[in-house]
Amino acid sequence: MTTPATQVPSTVREVGPSDTPPVKELADLSVLIGGQGGDGTLTVSDLLARYFRKRGLYVYTSRNVLSRIRGGHADSSVRASRDAISAIKPTVDILVAFDKEALEFGRPELEADGLVLYDSSVFQTDLPATFGFPFATLAGSQLGQPIYKNVAAYGVLSVMLGFDPALTRSVIEERFKRRGGEALEKNLKALEIGRKAALEHAEPMHRFTVVDGTAHDLRLMTGNQAVALGFVVGGGRFFAGYPITPATEIMEYLQRYLPSVHGVVRQAEDELAAINMVIGAAYAGARSMTSTSGPGLSLMTEGIGHAGAAEVPIVVADCQRVGPSTGEPTRHEQSDVAHLAHIGHGDFPRFLIAPGTVDDCFYLTVDALNLAEKWRLPVILVLDQALCQNSSTVPGFDLSQVHLDRGKRLEAEAVATRPSYKYYELTPDGASPYALPGTPGVTSQVTGNEHDEYGHVSVNPVNRVKMMRKRMEKLIHAQSDLPLSRTFGDPAAKIGFIGFGSTTGPIREAQDRLQTRGVSTRFFQARTLFPVPARELSAFLEPLDHAYVVEHNYAGQFAGLIREAMPSYHARLRSILKYDGLPFRAAEIVKAVEGGTDGRVG
Amino acid sequence: MVESAKPIPSTWCPGCGDFGALAALKKAMAELKIPPHEAVLVGGIGCSGGIHNFLEINGLHALHGRLLAQAVGVKLANPKLNVVAIGGDGDGYAIGMGHFMHAFKKNASILYVVMMNETYGLTKGQAAPTAPLGYEGNIERPFDAILAALSQPQPNFVARTFSGDPKTLTKVLVEALEFNRANRGFAFVEDLSPCVTYNDTFKEWREKVLDVSTLPGYDASDRAVMFRLCLETMDKGRIPIGVMHRPREVSTEAESLELKLLPDRIGPAVTPIDLEGNLPTYQKLLAAAG
Repeated sequence: MTTPATQVPSTVREVGPSDTPPVKELADLSVLIGGQGGDGTLTVSDLLARYFRKRGLYVYTSRNVLSRIRGGHADSSVRASRDAISAIKPTVDILVAFDKEALEFGRPELEADGLVLYDSSVFQTDLPATFGFPFATLAGSQLGQPIYKNVAAYGVLSVMLGFDPALTRSVIEERFKRRGGEALEKNLKALEIGRKAALEHAEPMHRFTVVDGTAHDLRLMTGNQAVALGFVVGGGRFFAGYPITPATEIMEYLQRYLPSVHGVVRQAEDELAAINMVIGAAYAGARSMTSTSGPGLSLMTEGIGHAGAAEVPIVVADCQRVGPSTGEPTRHEQSDVAHLAHIGHGDFPRFLIAPGTVDDCFYLTVDALNLAEKWRLPVILVLDQALCQNSSTVPGFDLSQVHLDRGKRLEAEAVATRPSYKYYELTPDGASPYALPGTPGVTSQVTGNEHDEYGHVSVNPVNRVKMMRKRMEKLIHAQSDLPLSRTFGDPAAKIGFIGFGSTTGPIREAQDRLQTRGVSTRFFQARTLFPVPARELSAFLEPLDHAYVVEHNYAGQFAGLIREAMPSYHARLRSILKYDGLPFRAAEIVKAVEGGTDGRVG
Repeated sequence: MVESAKPIPSTWCPGCGDFGALAALKKAMAELKIPPHEAVLVGGIGCSGGIHNFLEINGLHALHGRLLAQAVGVKLANPKLNVVAIGGDGDGYAIGMGHFMHAFKKNASILYVVMMNETYGLTKGQAAPTAPLGYEGNIERPFDAILAALSQPQPNFVARTFSGDPKTLTKVLVEALEFNRANRGFAFVEDLSPCVTYNDTFKEWREKVLDVSTLPGYDASDRAVMFRLCLETMDKGRIPIGVMHRPREVSTEAESLELKLLPDRIGPAVTPIDLEGNLPTYQKLLAAAG
């Protein structure tokens, strides 16, 4: 993403003859679409995203962007750029307002030369740079249903931004082909209605044009879809879950994908059933996962501890949202981190793996499956709402980078040559060789009670200590197996950032902005959160004056984990925290750094 | 011979009803020639839940109340395994009630045996959901699992047995296991298994049990008939036992969960996951995504 110095983002280059209004060529464009829930704002951003991707641009879409939200307001945004991006743009170039609230809420975000398209059949305004089109009336009178107003708006935008008409149309076909029939036909008509209305207006056409990008064969997808794909390719074959925002799409994608590879997906009666079905399937030998969010995670806690004690390899994808309790189901937070690091009663090992971008979601899901099976414990994929549900363009996934590691798995022939088979055999690294139930000639006992090597219940104090150490020391022995962090920025910098998950995009963009202001920074993107990657972190922190831990929670949870693991770095850590339910914008991080102290944003 | 987990001596009180169930299960497995490695016994929490330690079998000791969820997970991951879940009535009808009712809905071919004794023996005799009025000060009306099962549209195989009659118990378990092995769906057996320490009902139950198959009009394929026979028996102060439901034939609706998902019975646990073998499928999947 880091922008080369020669290339300025958001270029303003004036083209065209001098006697016509100047056309602004955008290399980094953002469109915000706002209205009431049900106005179809997500469809507009999705159509635009698909179009921009076809033009070789990197795309990032986001829902619920605005903080001044009440009632039924809903909005979504799309950003297209010549540079790789994974964050929303701090400002808006074009605002589409389906109602007056959307105008009021979105207008403060508008660029100085930005403009507004509004539905003049819903409200009127004479604010500067606003252009009314009666979207709802046009769609209602010509198609019988005002609901198609969103695609009419897409039609107006397509003319305004000089889209290629055939490509504009193909995007609609692609989007609605699955539903087909009337839906496709009416949406194509709605597009033409919008285009015609736009062509009849001299204004505000041809103010902007979108440049072509050079990125080809990009995929546009959400983190949830990438997790589902990574699960299948990583050999995942059993999934059980319970619907919960923002995790549900993982289950929905897997319902589509898994049957083609002999896999099974079940929607369980609750999260208790989901985690325990996963434990049963994993015990039987299937690579298994569930996905959930805060409230479901709380219910799954006992099961996760059971997997740790009984040494059953499971993966739990936690799509964090605003907590505690029901919190804000559709909003963004990273406030499960402390809970996950300490989850469950008693001591047991677990790994927390945190992808930072959509393609990271794919590869690290494969890693999570490998780690769980090899080390016989629960692995948690730490995700967040923005990462799970916002979509961005990613390069095609490289299957040559995918490797499966089944650890000390014993096939029937290998078992037959052994003197004994014990599910909890003591080994130097804590991971015991394992055979699937059904392997001829041997049986096993698997339990969450403390047990001996055979799995028989034991309260012998000497055995207890051996078994505790067997399990807990996996945290030490597995360390070189865990996903490495990534670092970005100037190695000579004195100011650092530490972050994980979807803050990766905004932090890297903040680095660029700070650099243009002469402030060099270095960024540590943690991809393993627990065990805390102390060796990597101390190498990162050593040359720095201080580092900001950037995270979405009130308490500075990841900073707390780092302080707990690395007390000598206590004074070097500061926090930049945001917990208003919305993802960081680069400008907020820049501002906090320039303020120079611990910052709470929003 | 590879040495692996062997049965250990039971921890149950002498005379416990659970011994009857243990003996019957061993006999039923021997009669059906099920090798120990092809069976998984998922145990609940409580006295009865330890049963997997006391016979030669693969044991999966579940969390309290969650044995059915784990058992369904095992069955769907590898339908070729014989999966038996055994727990107490506190485990199944209190903390595990949600999974119990959903087991009828799911209809995976697993056998669920509840050792019913009206009490929480392992925690020293608190009232279970089945406890009669007055037991340990119980003022809530007892839950009846057979009536709950019969109220379901497709209860499949349902029976109540008595540990004091191990011969009938063995016969019912054989029939239930065969039902599962034919992938006909869920089998539920409630075994009246007295707790000799905290609620010794052996004598009382021996007098009260009444085999409903001896009653006129008995028809285990007719839920309405069986519901009426049970209520009439209970109204007389007797405890109905016997096979309470058994579908006459396999209907499409009764087709088990594992067959609906995996018609060839090859489960996710044993399907190859190597990249090479799956490459064409993966490439197609990735090409269509995003």
